[in-house]
Amino acid sequence: MNTSTSLDAPPRDRVTGTQFTRGLGILVLAGMVLLIVLGLFVSPADVNQGESVRIMYAHVPGAWLAYLAFVITGISSAAYLWKRTRSLTWDRIAGASAEVGVLFMGISLITGSLWGRITWGTYWTWDARLTTTAFLFVTYIGYLAVRGLGGTHQQRARRSAVLALLAVLEIPLVHFSVELWNTLHQEASVAGRGTDVEMDGLMLFTLFLGVIVFTLMYVWLVLHRQRSLALEDMLDDSGLDNALTARRAEASGVAR
Amino acid sequence: MNQNVNDDEIGTSADSLDLSPRPVSPRQQRKRRPWPAIIVLLLVVATGGIVLTKFLTSAIDYYCNVDEIGAKSGCEAGRRLRIQGVVDEGSIENDGVTTKFTMSFGGESLPVTYDGDPGGIFKECIPVVVHGILTEGVFLGDRVEVKHSNDYKADNPDRVENEALTAEGTACSQ
Repeated sequence: MNTSTSLDAPPRDRVTGTQFTRGLGILVLAGMVLLIVLGLFVSPADVNQGESVRIMYAHVPGAWLAYLAFVITGISSAAYLWKRTRSLTWDRIAGASAEVGVLFMGISLITGSLWGRITWGTYWTWDARLTTTAFLFVTYIGYLAVRGLGGTHQQRARRSAVLALLAVLEIPLVHFSVELWNTLHQEASVAGRGTDVEMDGLMLFTLFLGVIVFTLMYVWLVLHRQRSLALEDMLDDSGLDNALTARRAEASGVAR
Repeated sequence: MNQNVNDDEIGTSADSLDLSPRPVSPRQQRKRRPWPAIIVLLLVVATGGIVLTKFLTSAIDYYCNVDEIGAKSGCEAGRRLRIQGVVDEGSIENDGVTTKFTMSFGGESLPVTYDGDPGGIFKECIPVVVHGILTEGVFLGDRVEVKHSNDYKADNPDRVENEALTAEGTACSQ
């Protein structure tokens, strides 16, 4: 167990990057540059909102990717709970995805708040969309806290998986809140009920580019985070192994 | 087995066996008492409670439409209301201190008096939500929020009909 691994050349199973994630990372960076150019310079200002419409290119992809991340947390959690597919890898994917989801939800909340100040005239208001989104955000921070409560990996996986399956039910409530109640927030622009999109072509293209870039970034982040969580678990296990080895050494000392 | 343990330290017979508790490593100690996680969880539960209260008291049906005043429960005069309507064309009067305008929805119209200059992208022909109290047929607003409609059009200065289109607006033609 006490193999001395040199720090400057970690073995292949102790790093989080691979050929694939390196290529993906470059793609994300290139896409982000393109998104910034299109979003901030090429795409037009809006006839009503003016330049503030550009906030949409971070706000909407942020919200969608947060939904996606939480749904994947839910699916991974179900995969962990189902006996045939039970593996701690699912649990770590669920955890990694939730962390990234909270990050994207935070981006969406902050950008939305800035947009609200410019357009509505207020940073925050308790309408149904904003309130349910805040609740979703807080729920997943709670989920992450539950993951940090300690116990064995299996205990952590089981209790967080149950919570994730409950929390994912909030997403339809958040998405359809703008249709269920009178809200200050506008209804869904693209994935709405009436499918005729009232959006300028270049704006729509930039928005879709934003969603694609954010999706690739999500994959990159989750792959890396999932592997670093695996390394953390390995470190915990090795700590336990070391303790066991020490106790065994004592036992053999007594027996002698 | 690992044999390079100091014999004196762990004892070589049952008599000299050291049974005193060993110091727990910092890592194990942290695992036993996950205070940061517990504190975050308590904060989350408290915040969740506040958000839920806000949801039940404020967020369900954020506003009443102008034509719902007196018709829908919770939309009576004399209490704090949030009313939505479209600002009538040419109705905005601003004398520097107060802004007066009328807003309509569903065929009904309502005069509004607001202290100050509404923020956001306030102008005629757009839907707004005004917070305030309805007294004697006039809505005394203390907060105006511009409800953004759901269309996104390029602001093209070269387009001749651009001004006319903005002035007419989609809201005023309805």
